[in-house]
Amino acid sequence: MNSRLIKILTTAIVLVVLGACEAPDQELFSVIPKEIQDNTTDPTALKAIAQSAYVPLIGTWGGHNSLWSMHEVSSDEMVIAQKGADWEDGGQWIRMHRHEFNPSEQSIGNGWNYCYSAIGQLNNLLKTYGTNPLLRSELECVRALVYLWLIDAYGNVPIVTETSTDPTPPTNTRQEVFNFIESSILSNLDNLRQEKTYASMNYYVAQTILAKLYLNAQVYTGTAKFTEAAAAANEVINSGLYSLEANYFDNFKTNNSGSNENIFVINYDENNGGGFNLAQMTGHYLTQQTFNLQQQPWNGYATLEDFYNSYAVNDSRRGSFLVGPQFSSTGVRLKDLSAEPGDPDGQDLTFTPEINELAPNSFRQAGARVGKWEFRLGAGPNLSNDFPIFRYSDVLLMRAEALWRLNPSSTEALNLVNQVRSRAGINPLGALTADDLLAERGREMFAEGYRRSDLIRFGKFNDAWWEKPVSAAFRNLFPIPQGQLLVNPDLVQNPGY
Amino acid sequence: MIKFYQSIRCCLIVIMAAASFSAFAQRINVTGRVTSSDDGSALPGVNILEKGTNNGTITNANGDYSISVAENATLVVSFVGYATQEIAVGAQSVINISLNADITALEEVVVIGYGSQERKEINSAVASVSAKDFNRGNVTSPTQLLTGKVAGLSVSRAGGDPNQAQTLRLRGITTFGANSEPLIVIDGIVGASLDNVDPNDIASIDVLKDGSAAAIYGTRGSSGVIMITTKSGKAGRGNYTNVEYNGFVSVDNVANKITVLGPSEFVARGGQDFGSQTNWFNELTQTGYSYTNNLTVSGGTNAGTTYSASVNYRNNDGIVKGVNFQRWNTRLALGQEAMNGKLRFNFAVAYNDRKQESINMAAFRYAVIYNPTAPIFDDDETDVDGGYFQRDLFDFFNPIALSRQQQFVGERKNALLNYSAEYDIIQDLTAKINFAQTRETGLDGAFWSIYDKAEGAGTHGSARRSTYDNTNDLLEFTLKYNHKFGTDLNSEFLLGTASQKRTFEGYAVRVKQFLYDYTSFYNLSFASNREGVNTEASGYRSEDVLLSTFGRANFNYKNTYFFSATVRAESFSGFGKNEKTGIFPAASAGVQLSELFDLGPVSNLKFRLSYGVTGALPPFSDLALPVLVPGGTVDFDGDPSTDDDQFVIANQARDPNPTLKWEEKTEINVGLDFGFFGNRLTGAIEYYTRNIDDLLFSVSIPTGAPNPFDPSQPANVAGNAWANIGQIKSAGFEFTASYNDIPIGPIKWTPSLNFTIYDKPVIESFSVGDLGFGEIRLATPGSPGQNNNEIIRNIAGRPLGDMYGPIFRGIDENGNYVLSTTDPDEFVVVGNGLPDGEFGFTNTFTYKNWDLNFLLRGVFGHDLYNSYRGFYENRDAASNTWNSVVTDKTPFVTQSPTFSSLFVEDATYLRLDNATIGYNLSAKNPVFSRARVYFSGQNLFTITKYTGIDPEVRYFDTENGNTFTTNLAPGLERRNTYFTTRTFTFGVTLTLK
Repeated sequence: MNSRLIKILTTAIVLVVLGACEAPDQELFSVIPKEIQDNTTDPTALKAIAQSAYVPLIGTWGGHNSLWSMHEVSSDEMVIAQKGADWEDGGQWIRMHRHEFNPSEQSIGNGWNYCYSAIGQLNNLLKTYGTNPLLRSELECVRALVYLWLIDAYGNVPIVTETSTDPTPPTNTRQEVFNFIESSILSNLDNLRQEKTYASMNYYVAQTILAKLYLNAQVYTGTAKFTEAAAAANEVINSGLYSLEANYFDNFKTNNSGSNENIFVINYDENNGGGFNLAQMTGHYLTQQTFNLQQQPWNGYATLEDFYNSYAVNDSRRGSFLVGPQFSSTGVRLKDLSAEPGDPDGQDLTFTPEINELAPNSFRQAGARVGKWEFRLGAGPNLSNDFPIFRYSDVLLMRAEALWRLNPSSTEALNLVNQVRSRAGINPLGALTADDLLAERGREMFAEGYRRSDLIRFGKFNDAWWEKPVSAAFRNLFPIPQGQLLVNPDLVQNPGY
Repeated sequence: MIKFYQSIRCCLIVIMAAASFSAFAQRINVTGRVTSSDDGSALPGVNILEKGTNNGTITNANGDYSISVAENATLVVSFVGYATQEIAVGAQSVINISLNADITALEEVVVIGYGSQERKEINSAVASVSAKDFNRGNVTSPTQLLTGKVAGLSVSRAGGDPNQAQTLRLRGITTFGANSEPLIVIDGIVGASLDNVDPNDIASIDVLKDGSAAAIYGTRGSSGVIMITTKSGKAGRGNYTNVEYNGFVSVDNVANKITVLGPSEFVARGGQDFGSQTNWFNELTQTGYSYTNNLTVSGGTNAGTTYSASVNYRNNDGIVKGVNFQRWNTRLALGQEAMNGKLRFNFAVAYNDRKQESINMAAFRYAVIYNPTAPIFDDDETDVDGGYFQRDLFDFFNPIALSRQQQFVGERKNALLNYSAEYDIIQDLTAKINFAQTRETGLDGAFWSIYDKAEGAGTHGSARRSTYDNTNDLLEFTLKYNHKFGTDLNSEFLLGTASQKRTFEGYAVRVKQFLYDYTSFYNLSFASNREGVNTEASGYRSEDVLLSTFGRANFNYKNTYFFSATVRAESFSGFGKNEKTGIFPAASAGVQLSELFDLGPVSNLKFRLSYGVTGALPPFSDLALPVLVPGGTVDFDGDPSTDDDQFVIANQARDPNPTLKWEEKTEINVGLDFGFFGNRLTGAIEYYTRNIDDLLFSVSIPTGAPNPFDPSQPANVAGNAWANIGQIKSAGFEFTASYNDIPIGPIKWTPSLNFTIYDKPVIESFSVGDLGFGEIRLATPGSPGQNNNEIIRNIAGRPLGDMYGPIFRGIDENGNYVLSTTDPDEFVVVGNGLPDGEFGFTNTFTYKNWDLNFLLRGVFGHDLYNSYRGFYENRDAASNTWNSVVTDKTPFVTQSPTFSSLFVEDATYLRLDNATIGYNLSAKNPVFSRARVYFSGQNLFTITKYTGIDPEVRYFDTENGNTFTTNLAPGLERRNTYFTTRTFTFGVTLTLK
């Protein structure tokens, strides 16, 4: 019996020892362990890693339900009308138009994630490559650009850097964010390239960030900084590197990388940098045939009639719209068989500037569409046109506005505005008023995501316009997204929400 | 990898050690006769086995036997229909045995993990279904055999797509981030696939329901375990051969359609008139014919060989042209004894090949809403649509064109290999080694025609080809020891180790722009464009290793008190570096009250109590690590026309979480087995509570913030990470009862009822520490116009999956909705998709050679969002394009639809799932020992107030969210649901003499 017991026990012990082995480290095959990237010395890989700072900017900016959508639909230049069953979408776009948006709107969450996802990526790069001073400066300035978007849209947001350790970073005031952006740029200016670059940071892009920041300083902090704004804009103008393109629309072509006017762009590419979906977002279903699009558009974004009418008939920028009778790429008049019985245009597809109502039964063909960017014949849902974030004409108008605010009779200001008007083929102004400046900025910068900030700076954002009542002042800031408040108890909601 | 092979080596050492043991004993000869206690008649063919060995014999035509056994041996005497007896030989050389007819189910052998036990010894919740109780008809998957048969096991498939697998939920939802389907164990192969076995080859299925039964499977036991035992040859029956043929043909028709307006009604309502008349339902659907053939040869020899070989061929046509599958299953199992039965080998190989075709399921939606005045074909001379009628309207595609111009084809090959050797080291001590591999490879092709308006035409055709290869290697070593303490305490001990390695790999390519459709996806070189939208080139490979040690002890005191304890320790390569090993204990106890007291008509009463901890593994093995996946592209010069300077960067996919570990479920089960009237009426009652902790979930964390698990790790870029967060609780009550052979005149009736009452799962929390959130919203109805309004909110402290919306109060004079509110913050609960309970009621009637069997099945208390109504019943502007859905619930609304309580319907239903009538031909036939013909109907009728396609529970959402949030969105009937089918089957079963 004893030997039997020993046998049993021996076998059992062998088994237990055997089973006590700990599972081996996880092997990886189709993903890259982070330390491989961190330890690479390959020059091409290092170059690509440095440039990867700009990849998150491609993100959701150029698509629907994005930060861009928030800026546009809450302003007086863009609307998404509800067309019967289509585009009700829980009422988000109607609320956005009427300034009744709430913290749970998907776009408001998406806008935040777009910005902070970029910040996370930039901080990761700074953590690993921050010892390279030139790269550090470039990355910190790109991060400042993202904070410029955040301070403008959400105002009071947490400042997170590569040295932060708090997983639930608390809210910083708008003033603190302002200071952070300002110091990020100022402390790095000397390390930035003073040459033209494409889709990447340089000295002049950084100066444009400063110009934007200072021009809006009164809105952001209560303290005006127009002198500083004018000076920053002047750095760009005086560089001689940038100029107005003779043809406004060359800045928005499918292949617009040659533009001398675009200072900083988001580098979209239909194959390798997708996400700019404007043809889908604005086109009518039948617009597919106008541009031989690979997919049926969604019939969403259009401009407001009043905004369309702010363009003089001879303003070349009026070409920013698809309006009037619509034709196929072979010149055949398009017919919308589903045209509503009450639509005065009948089945012949015609984009009218007039929109019969915001909701619920906007006509499907109502509203002038965004046609400012070229839609390549045969384009897929992702466009290759690069999206200009900073343009030379914007810098001219910013300097003009800063000078005008310092001295309403500034002739330089007037000349700068007229420079932009002249390129558009319209008569020069004899004097500048606030309305002139706002309207000129509106026409020049249509659909580029700045209208909301401009309206706020000119004190017009809370005014009533088509299908929108007067709104409360707290609407000048978007709410902190509900989803972020839920996961980060240290965030503070903006006042009024 | 190295450790995996180390463990193999360890096992080999153990085997060699074991082989050196031996045992000797003196042998004596025993003879006698076996008779029936009913009438004293001799019983031929009775199995007589020396206990603990494979030494056995059978009685001859006179009931006589003779066997040589060891001193102090025990004879196990068993015969079908009679209670098994164990007789101690002692000094006797003549033993006459009288067997009692078995009307109890107590001696039923139940398969549990790494062994089996008699039913009376089981203290946990285990259900067993044997072949005679399986569902019949055109059953194509093993799980269909069980529909409605096991309390607490929900087997559902909404709609009738023959290519769609059944959804299994055992005792409801146990997880939302990890695997929610039960673990499948086929003949001991842990983690096998249901595709490894054909339903015809299955002898019995045992379902381990509670935590204590499943704890022996550790981190994979939380969702329950389904143990499949395949048919095999029987040892100890001497030379015999059994040849059985099964064959059936089936006819499928559409069972339930969505009612829409006819052409004239549609035009009268303001719809566009294209001048034709088409019933799109009828055009899309067909009568589906299917047939199945199965041949099994099994047997045994006196030389200790057993075998079973089978071949199955199935061909199933769907009710839609273009939906089909064909499957071959072949299987060979071989057993051989050596060393006088002390060494036993088993080999099994199985190979399945399945080819399937399907269509774009959106064709069902378009068949509902497409204009009934549109013709199928067009005389349009331009022919850009391949001759089909198409118009440029929003979301308007000819369903017939769609079903024919998009092609989806797949082939799956499943192989299973299982080798085991078992050796009796000494009496009562048995060692076993087992190596198994299951492997699935798939090759899929998809093609979108150059004329396909919905997708292909935009890119002038597109083709996709993909393949994958998954393997599961398993090596196990177990040691079993039986011991009797004194005279009354029987015990059994099990100790084992297992190592398992799984590999998943595959790749996919999609290209576009073809001149001709002809080559479909077979030659991708005809594609002119390999970049951008509608193209793809991707691949993956992952591997993980799970090492386990486990043990179990069972005690049986005087067949009255029972106790069992198990433990499993597991280490998984995918756990975070700080959390490498999990331990899963369980214990259960039972007392046979009917042994203690005389309970009169109560012939069996056993009280059971069990407690068990099980786990669930993370869904992917690299979630704990900082890994980079392909990100965007950088272009050094910004000029897209030069592509030698473009590179795909590596991008962080999520926050690494070094503390990631298993999910943990603690379950307490109280059970009562009962039998009345000599166990003619038997059944069981179970009550369980479950607490699932450390739920695996992709949790939102502040985007861009430092890593919350370890600030030295990279910051969060994606806004989410996998973490063990949250807790859910659920409970339930199960009842099973069966009454054998109630005589109704010459007819015998066996009713069998099971029902389950669920205490719906409640989300206790979605957070742990600072991490987590209080609420998660998901599931939007979709396009058109309902893209941003999530209708399901999961809120901590509330039941999982509540639907929120405004209350529908009526319709105003303008045909607009009157809703309680339009403010999302004021929405209230308008439904929940999880059921309150379900039941299955099986009835078998036998009369002479006839038998009739039917299964009534019902599920109650669940709601469904009827998305056809939710989009298409209104008379709004869109309805001049799309046809309208008409139900008895349709109001006259001219406003465009928006979600409200109006579209959430009670989907309680009662269904005649299956009815079969069979006739057994006389056994006097010279060729056949058994011949049976049967006629069977499936899904014969459904009683429900639900007006959509199928009132079946939707445990997860097929459209919104990612794979891991779908469990949080139950109760949505989406518009692409395959129509339900009604099936009639005629079949024969023949057994050769």
